[in-house]
Amino acid sequence: MLDGIKAFLDILSKPQISFTLIIFIFPFVIPPTMWFEKWHRKLGLHLLWTRKGGLYMFAFITIILLLGFFDENFGKILGKPDNVPIIILIYSVFFFLWLSMSSAYKNDERMARGEKVEEDYGPDEKVLVWPDLVYIEMIALILMTVFLLVWSIGLPAPLEEAANPSLSPNPAKAPWYFLGLQEMLVYFDPWLAGVIFPTLIIVGLMALPYVDDNPKASGYYSFANRRASIFIFLFGFLTLWVFLIVVGTFFRGPNWNFFGPFEEWSVAKVVPLTNVNLSEYVWVKMLRIGLPSHPLVREVVGIVIVVLYFGLPPVILARGKLRGLVERLGATRYALVIFLALSMMALPIKMYLRWTINLKYIIAIPESFFNI
Amino acid sequence: MKRRKFITWLSVGWLAFAGATGGFFTMIIRFLFPNVLFEPPQSFKVGFPSDFQLNQVDERFKQSQAVWLVRTAEGMYALSTVCTHLGCTPNWLITDNKFKCPCHGSGFRKSGINFEGPAPRPLERYRIVLAEDGQVLVDKSVKFQYEKGQWDSPEAFLTT
Amino acid sequence: MADKKKTGLLASIGDSQIWKSIFRTGVPVTRRQRMMGVLNSVFLHLHPVRLPKHAVKLKYTWCMGGLSFFLFLVLTISGILLMFYYRPTVEYAYTDIMDLSEQVPLGIMREIHRWGAHAMVIAVWLHMFRVFMTGSYKPPREFNWAVGVIMLFLTLLLSFTGYLLPWDQLAIWAITVGANMARATPFLGHEGPGASLLAIGDINLVSMTSDIRFALLGGRFVGEGALLRFYVLHCVGLPFIIAILMAVHFWRVRKDGGISTPV
Repeated sequence: MLDGIKAFLDILSKPQISFTLIIFIFPFVIPPTMWFEKWHRKLGLHLLWTRKGGLYMFAFITIILLLGFFDENFGKILGKPDNVPIIILIYSVFFFLWLSMSSAYKNDERMARGEKVEEDYGPDEKVLVWPDLVYIEMIALILMTVFLLVWSIGLPAPLEEAANPSLSPNPAKAPWYFLGLQEMLVYFDPWLAGVIFPTLIIVGLMALPYVDDNPKASGYYSFANRRASIFIFLFGFLTLWVFLIVVGTFFRGPNWNFFGPFEEWSVAKVVPLTNVNLSEYVWVKMLRIGLPSHPLVREVVGIVIVVLYFGLPPVILARGKLRGLVERLGATRYALVIFLALSMMALPIKMYLRWTINLKYIIAIPESFFNI
Repeated sequence: MKRRKFITWLSVGWLAFAGATGGFFTMIIRFLFPNVLFEPPQSFKVGFPSDFQLNQVDERFKQSQAVWLVRTAEGMYALSTVCTHLGCTPNWLITDNKFKCPCHGSGFRKSGINFEGPAPRPLERYRIVLAEDGQVLVDKSVKFQYEKGQWDSPEAFLTT
Repeated sequence: MADKKKTGLLASIGDSQIWKSIFRTGVPVTRRQRMMGVLNSVFLHLHPVRLPKHAVKLKYTWCMGGLSFFLFLVLTISGILLMFYYRPTVEYAYTDIMDLSEQVPLGIMREIHRWGAHAMVIAVWLHMFRVFMTGSYKPPREFNWAVGVIMLFLTLLLSFTGYLLPWDQLAIWAITVGANMARATPFLGHEGPGASLLAIGDINLVSMTSDIRFALLGGRFVGEGALLRFYVLHCVGLPFIIAILMAVHFWRVRKDGGISTPV
C-alpha cells in the first residue's frame, strides 16, 4: 500500500506530468478570468483559502514530507543540511499564500457587501510607534534570534571535501536559490538561462508598477480587483521559480538525471537524451538533402519561427482581445508587456518541445554561440 | 565675454568633463585586468605514444593538467576536460563509452563530439605534437574547435 | 527630605545628568514623551511618530521587511567576527573554516552566518510577495519597488559571493557554473553571441582573458584571484552598495507616504 503510494508519487513528480498538471490546475486555483472563476467556485477551490482548507494543505504537505523523512531514499535528500531552507521555503510560501489569499477573499466579500476592507480603520485611527510598534519589533527580533540560534546549534553548516578543480561532484548543484535557473539551463543555453532570463526577470519586476495601470487594490489584500496581475505574478513566482527550485533540489540526481522523490539516486541510471536541432529535422529528416553549409540558410526555419513568435501575437492580440490594453498602456508599454509575457511562456514551450520531439535548439549557430 | 564665445567655452568644458569621466571609468575597468597572470605553464610533455593504450581514454593528466589523451589506430588527440556547457569536469564512463557531465547531463563521445544534454558544441582539442625527444607535447594555449572546422588542422591530431 | 517620591537607585539614575543628557525626553509615560522619544532618537526616527492602525497588524505586514533588515545586521556582525579568523587564500581558506568550528569558542558563528543568509533570502522574497499581494508597488511607490528589486538581486549576489569562501567542493563548482554563465553574456563574454564581432582584424577584443568572466574571477578559472575578488565583493563591495540602497529604500518608504494604506 505504502509502496504503491510512493511509486504513484514518483510517477506523478516527473516534470512532464507534474508540470503539466500544475499548468492545468493553476488557472482554476488562481482564476485569471471570470470563466475560470465560475469553475473555481463550482469545483469548490475557493474553500482552499478558508481555515479548513489551509489546515488540509498544511496536513497534505506535512504527510508527504513525513513520508519522505521515513523513506530510505527521500530521507537522505530531505535530511541534507543545505536543504532545510527549502523545507522552510515550502511551508512559508504556502502559509503566506494562504494568508494573503484568505485576507483577499474576505476583503472581496466585504467590498461586495459594500463594507470597508479589513485594513481600513479610517484616517483617524492612529497608534503611537512607541510602544505599539516598537514592542512588536522587539518580540520579532527575539523570536528570530532564538530561531537562528536553535537552527545553528542543531544543524552544523555543511563543509564538503576541500576544493578539487578536476573532480566535479555528481550532481553539482548551484546554491538552492539559483536552482530554478539551473533547471532552465537544461532547456536553454547559458546566455539565455544564465544571463538574458535573469535580466528579464529583474527588468520585468522593476517594470511592474509602470505597466500595471490598475489603480484599485493598493494598500490592502484583494483578488477580485486585480485577478490577472495576481495570476501572472503567482504563476511566475510559484511555478517558474519556487516549483523549479523544488525540482532542482529534490528531483535532480546524479548526472542531472531526473529521479522521483522515493527513487534511489543511482549513478548507473541511464536516460538516453539524444537531442536534435530543428535544422536537422527540416533539412535532413523532412527534405532529405543534408544541412546547407551557411549557418543563416541552415537555420532559416528556426529564425522565421522565433521572429514570428515574438512578432505575430502582439499584432494579432492588439487588434483582437487586448485592444483595450493597447489603448490604456500605449504602444511602448504594451510591447514591453507582451514581450515579457512571451519570454516567460518560452520556458514551458521549450520544455514541452524537449519532452515531445527531443528538440535541442530552434536556432543553432554554435559558430557564434547563438543558440535558442 | 560675448555670448557665443561663452557657449563655445561651455561646450568645450563639458566635453572635457565628459572625456575625463569616461577616461576615469575606463581606467577603473582596465584595473580589473592584470598585466601578468600567475598561472601554471600551458604546455607539457606526457610521454611516448607507445605509453598509451590503443582506443583507451587516458585519465592520467586529468587531475594535473585537465586533459584527456586518446590514442586510436591512426593517432592521438588531446581533449579538454572542460565541459562546453558550463565548465564542469565530465566523467569518462568506460561501460557506456562516453563522457558524461555531472552538472547538467551533457554527453560526449570518445571523439569529443557532443550527442546528448545541453552542451552546445563538442569538447575542445588542444595542440598536440611530437617533441624533439620523441615525446608527445600538449600545448593548451592553442585550442581547436570542431564547429569552426579546426579539428582538421595538422596540430589538432598527432598521426603516429 | 522634602521630595519623598524620588528615591531608590533606578529613580536616581533616571534623574541623573548623564541619563538626561542621553535620553532627553525621560521615561516615555505621557503621550508627548512617547512622541518626542521617537522623534529625538536617530534610530527610532526611521519610523514616523504615529501609524495607521493596520500598520502594526502582523496579518498585514508579515514583518518580513523588518526581519530582512534585522538579518542583514546579524549577518554584518557575524561576518565581521568571522573575518578575524578567515584568510582568503587557496592555502588557508578551507582549513580556516574547519578551525572555526573546532578551534574557536562559540563555534556556531559560521552556522549563524550561513543559516542567517538563507533566512534572509527567504525573508526578502516573502517581503516582495507581501508588497505585491497588497498592491503596495502602485503609485506613488513605483520607484521604491524598483529599488527593492535591485536589493533582492544584491541579496542573492551577496549570498552567491559568500558561497565560494569555504573553498570546498560545493563552493568551487557552484561558482564555476555560475561564473561560466557570465562567459556567455552577449558581447561581453568570450563565449557569448556577438562577441566574435568585436574584433580588430584577427585579434578578438573579447577573449578568455579580457571578458566579463575574467573581470569577475581575476583569472582564467576559479582560483586564487577569484577567491580574493569574491571575498572583497562579499565583505566590502556589495554590502556598501546595499547599505546605500537600504537608506534610499527606508527614506522613500517615509517620503512616499509611509506604509501603504487602503485607497
